[in-house]
Amino acid sequence: MTMTNPNDDMLDDLFAQARGVDPTPSNDLMTRVLTDADAVQPKPVVRPDTRPGFWVRLVDAVGGWPAVSGLAAATIAGLWVGVAPPASVSDLTATLIGDEVSISLFSTELMLDEGVFSDG
Amino acid sequence: MNASPDPFAGAPDEALLVAYANGDGQAARVLTRRLLPRVLAQATRMLGVPAEAEDVAQDAMMRLWKVAPDWRQGEAQVTTWLYRVVANLCTDRLRKRRGVSLDQVAEPLDATPSVTAQMQTQARMTALSEALAQLPERQAQAVSLRHLEGLSNPQIAQIMDISVRSVESLTARGKRALADIMAGRKAELGYDDDEPE
Repeated sequence: MTMTNPNDDMLDDLFAQARGVDPTPSNDLMTRVLTDADAVQPKPVVRPDTRPGFWVRLVDAVGGWPAVSGLAAATIAGLWVGVAPPASVSDLTATLIGDEVSISLFSTELMLDEGVFSDG
Repeated sequence: MNASPDPFAGAPDEALLVAYANGDGQAARVLTRRLLPRVLAQATRMLGVPAEAEDVAQDAMMRLWKVAPDWRQGEAQVTTWLYRVVANLCTDRLRKRRGVSLDQVAEPLDATPSVTAQMQTQARMTALSEALAQLPERQAQAVSLRHLEGLSNPQIAQIMDISVRSVESLTARGKRALADIMAGRKAELGYDDDEPE
């Protein structure tokens, strides 16, 4: 007759019974878990309409802001040439059009006449 | 029982979790089907009360969903992580339960065999859960993972983030304490004299 610790036997039996407990999740629990999953799931990143506006696309089309600054400089230079053409351009214009108009933007005579520069 | 095929068959849980974090709705269903039964079983074995176990299972799964975006692949397995979370949630509940009789909350585990046998099984599971509640938390976790889940000591060491030697010590002390606690309830639980059922 071998004697074993009866408490251990009881415990081992209880453990075995507990391991046999294998509940099937109810539909209600499945629904609760999936509802939670849906509620906290990171949503796919929905990009807003990131198509750039007209001006941005225009700037991009000409090559970005460096190109725009170059264009602006060229425009001002063109305007300048139009308003106060160098002598060679003036001659050409006179040849083609037959007349020549010259405007001096900084006429010292005019300024002196108006007293812009005071004597002394 | 599962009629719908698993479109992610063969994919590891960790990959599914990443898919879930990336917005894949189907991944959550597959993960739930795979993991929830195990999570619920662990909680039921530790707590002995199905309703409480369901709450813990839902809570554990919610924590999984929330950790998904920060999940670092290769560092841990989802199942290992869940064992730890469920064990912690259960010992939290067991601690709050100390001194409170489970008689008011106990309910049948299932509606299968005879009512008498069912009630006795329920009484035993409740008694085991009450005894676990009296152990220090780490002992209760180690004992439940070893003897209720049937995990190996290295697995438990990984789950509890301790050494195998510590697991052995915790389970040995825990089991001894559990036996002492349960000794006084032998007759009540149908273990008359030396004859385990």
